[in-house]
Amino acid sequence: MSRLRYMFRETGESIRRNPTLSVASVITAAVSLLIFGLTLIIQHGFDNLLSQWEGGVEMIVYVNSGAGEEQRLVIEGALGQQQGVTIESWSYCDVACSLSDADRLFAGDPVTRSQLTELNIPTQYKVVPLDATQVDILRGLRDRYLELPNVYSVQLAEEQLDLISKLQGFVSTYTTGLWIALMVAASLLIWNTIRTAMFARRREIEVMKLVGATDWFIRLPFMLEGLLQGVTGGAVASVAMWFINGRWTAGVEAFPANSGMTALVVVDGYEWRVGLIVVLFGALIGTIGSGTAASKFLDV
Amino acid sequence: MIRLENVTKRYSSEVVALDDVSFEVPKGEFVFLVGPSGSGKSTLLRLINRQERPEEGSVWVAGRDIVDMPANRIPQLRRNIGNVFQDYKLLLNKTVFENIAFALEVIGKPQHVISQQVPAVIDLVGLSGKEDRFPHQLSGGEQQRVSIARAFVNRPLILVADEPTGNLDPSTGEGIMRLLDRINGTGTTVVMATHDRRIVDAMRRRVVQLDRGVIVRDQERGVYQ
Repeated sequence: MSRLRYMFRETGESIRRNPTLSVASVITAAVSLLIFGLTLIIQHGFDNLLSQWEGGVEMIVYVNSGAGEEQRLVIEGALGQQQGVTIESWSYCDVACSLSDADRLFAGDPVTRSQLTELNIPTQYKVVPLDATQVDILRGLRDRYLELPNVYSVQLAEEQLDLISKLQGFVSTYTTGLWIALMVAASLLIWNTIRTAMFARRREIEVMKLVGATDWFIRLPFMLEGLLQGVTGGAVASVAMWFINGRWTAGVEAFPANSGMTALVVVDGYEWRVGLIVVLFGALIGTIGSGTAASKFLDV
Repeated sequence: MIRLENVTKRYSSEVVALDDVSFEVPKGEFVFLVGPSGSGKSTLLRLINRQERPEEGSVWVAGRDIVDMPANRIPQLRRNIGNVFQDYKLLLNKTVFENIAFALEVIGKPQHVISQQVPAVIDLVGLSGKEDRFPHQLSGGEQQRVSIARAFVNRPLILVADEPTGNLDPSTGEGIMRLLDRINGTGTTVVMATHDRRIVDAMRRRVVQLDRGVIVRDQERGVYQ
């Protein structure tokens, strides 16, 4: 108990002695962790946007909500004719499945989503072609299926998938590079803060070693200081991320329903998990930065 | 209590601090290490508390050869050795009480032990009533008393003192020596490096004289010369 009290007291004193460096470390950690968190959130938004095209689906045939089983059999017959010729497989997404898709696609547009019900939502046939690169064949199939009775519309992946995939790749590459670089910077800054704190307290460390304190006993307050800086940075980043995500989600409602952007939001609780991950990452970079410094500079 | 066997310590190929030094200090003895600056006195003290390791020979403290002692055992060794320095090495932001308590805190002693032992040792060194003063509010002699109290609060088997009177006027130095003598009277072995002729001559204790890393004299109840 007295050791714990000692550790927290010394950590607090160390932070008080060096407030500017501590604040700089927390801000750097917060910025890097915010970008890290936003990268995860953006990725999840893109995943929502692309979820209907998972599993190699290149074409979706939307069926009118009023179509009965016989009318659907006509469509399935047309799809079946092409199976093994141009189509590898197809699957039917019924009302429940289509509503689930709508939940993701219109996550940022609750007004539009509320208008889709079991009675009016188009169901879907998701088609996986034998060769996704044969765009002309897919376009020919689309034109043919559009003529079938009760087909509401036919959408090809090429119309939105390519653009979104490129955008996702671009955003992912640059934001990942940025958060890695900033996390290294944050860790190094915490490392430097701890080094400075140890140098400022070199006399105490010398006395501690001479009276028989163990290296771990000396290190722990410094490691705790780094851990607190990382966790505080993580907490600040989580709050900022939650705020930005909320503002974005509110802003997306103003976008047109067919813009595709309505799916690019995170409202399924994933943001809270990311918040926790961000805090844990903060603890990690704080511990790595301070732990290496406290080990390296113990012989001050 | 302390035994050095053929100890050689080099800081570089040209600088030999101790050259094939052997000597023994029995439990409870008071030993002065004398000699000119650079003769190896401080190095010898640093070998005893394992701040340094010799290139050759062995150093025995309390029955253990400490030369190859693993790093994780060194704190335990140092808890049995009190250290007193010429420049006191007090923590300027801590009071007298806190400076002394610090030595117990960092080895994990519980609060009730600290609140019992610290006032007792403050009384022993004659600083009762000055517990709440900071080092800059004390005289040099008082600061050295705090340093001695910190070294002795854990009741070590050995106390090593490196020029403890070096910064003090003669009468204050005598007071410090009386205090070290009292501590020695409790059974603690004291090894003290000094240049202070008056003190050595007055105390008439064992004197080990070093010159350029070699013991040139080892005399019971000796004088400085």
